[in-house]
Amino acid sequence: MEFGTMDIAAIRSGLAAKEFSAREVAEQSLARIDAVDGTVNAFLEVTPEAALAKADEVDAAIAAGAFDELGPLAGVPVAFKDNMNLAGTHTTCASHMLENYVSPYTATCVQRAIDAGALPLGKLNMDEFAFGSTTESSAFGTTKNPWDTSRVPGGSSGGSAAAVAAGMATVTLGSDTGGSIRQPGSFCGVVAVKPTYGVVSRYGVVAFGSSLDQVGPFARSVRDAALALNAISGRDERDCTSQDVTIDFTRGLDAGVAGMKIGIVPEFMDAAGLTSEVKYAIEGAAEKLREMGAEIVEVELPHVRAAISAYYVIAPCEAFSNLSRFDSVRYGFCDPSHKSLAGQYEASRAKGFGPEARRRIMLGSYLLSAGVYDKYYYPAQQVRTLITQDYERAYETVDCILAPVAPQTAFAFGQISDPATMYATDLYTISINIAGNGGMSVPVGLGEDSQMPVGAQLIAPAFHDMNMLRVAAALEEAYGTARVAPDFADVKAGA
Amino acid sequence: MTEHVTEKDVRDIAEYCRIGLADSEIPQMTADLNAIIDELAPITEYDLTGVEPTFHPIGDLSNVMREDVEGQSFTQEEALSNAPAQQDGSFLIPSILGGGEA
Repeated sequence: MEFGTMDIAAIRSGLAAKEFSAREVAEQSLARIDAVDGTVNAFLEVTPEAALAKADEVDAAIAAGAFDELGPLAGVPVAFKDNMNLAGTHTTCASHMLENYVSPYTATCVQRAIDAGALPLGKLNMDEFAFGSTTESSAFGTTKNPWDTSRVPGGSSGGSAAAVAAGMATVTLGSDTGGSIRQPGSFCGVVAVKPTYGVVSRYGVVAFGSSLDQVGPFARSVRDAALALNAISGRDERDCTSQDVTIDFTRGLDAGVAGMKIGIVPEFMDAAGLTSEVKYAIEGAAEKLREMGAEIVEVELPHVRAAISAYYVIAPCEAFSNLSRFDSVRYGFCDPSHKSLAGQYEASRAKGFGPEARRRIMLGSYLLSAGVYDKYYYPAQQVRTLITQDYERAYETVDCILAPVAPQTAFAFGQISDPATMYATDLYTISINIAGNGGMSVPVGLGEDSQMPVGAQLIAPAFHDMNMLRVAAALEEAYGTARVAPDFADVKAGA
Repeated sequence: MTEHVTEKDVRDIAEYCRIGLADSEIPQMTADLNAIIDELAPITEYDLTGVEPTFHPIGDLSNVMREDVEGQSFTQEEALSNAPAQQDGSFLIPSILGGGEA
């Protein structure tokens, strides 16, 4: 059995029929990580004890005849981005700043996954503090794209995407502030969902941009992603922005798209920098949706061209504020060789943070300074209103919007090194965080030129995430369920 | 590229952020920040007269109230468990009054 490559339904029915035990699932999954992750480097920490303990709990429940009482993720191998606290594990945010930090508590999204029966396999690599689009800024080495290990997996949740693409986990969780779930999902050819802001609690997830951050699942099928979302979503009294969401995200997955109106945005499709292979793939997806009975409608989003600049004002300002908590006193890296507190702060933060984190903190500080605030920060929040209204107007006409996730497929390591150029690659994902809508990536085949996965982005009105999941399920029907990357599909682990 | 920030500005910002940049790092940081700030120009190009700002995507947030009951929180030991330095159940820091032998 290769459990890492199975879906939730297969694991569930196998457990119910006693074809295998949850302990076997855990052991095999851990063996597969051993066999594969030396190449991929998706995991920063593997947690065999936690996985096996949970597996024994699941097996005990099955033995007691309580299978039906087990949660929707019972026996499912799951792993978490390393900005999510899980008590007793290191939560490093892929930064030297938190290299030795051990979580004294557990994030709500992680706890809910485990309460739903998930087997926690470990913690996943990312760009440092989620600042990046390639996972190259991890202080602990980059993650490789399982489809081509000379290419980036995307980021910042690169480990979360790669672990699912290489069959090391059935579901992983990531976080998305400007595209950090959807873009690695697209680059690694898996389903990746950033729900509407407020669907999933952010409690215990190390904050980057508090008005933009949202947690969501990666999986190899739309249904698995929806099941995971069911498990982790909903009101949490520890995050006052979390909403009382009681939606069953699997509802309507089989409904098809006949009669749905799906928007295409000329501003997106004609943007400079969109590669022809991605454009062709998205147009192909639109054509497939039309054949399945959807109506494809052009919608205008006149202010989205300002989204990148609005984001690179708002996000660094919020990051500057959030990262001020790393003071070398309560937790985090400390350079103890200084005799003054100010000297200790400055040395510890200079050495603890990597270059991109330092750049964003500096940028945020500048943008919030007197005089500059009125030039950039306040207008950025006004532009946010205009972008939000653009989407609201579009959703008067359409149920969902179809767009690229990224202008290109996964590129080679080191190919983009200039920060401003790297930021521009977030063109298609960023405006969704600004508006707080839901967005997701679903694989629509390989790019003609690069032969790398292309993700189609589906964007839904706030708290109508069902719409995008329904369209994604239809595309999945047309293109086939996401596969484990070919080089890892036949890896056999353990006995 | 416009010079939005000078090397002197960057030194001031670094001090305010409590990030001890080495002299050798200042020119590159200055160039990077100027290049990024250049890209923020679209924000300044709209007529935003009368447009309300959106500081948060969930607009109609209201205060969340609960009964004032005792809950579970970290023990002192847990709260100190990640401290780089501690003494007598407290976080230990260098002298803040200057000249101290930490």
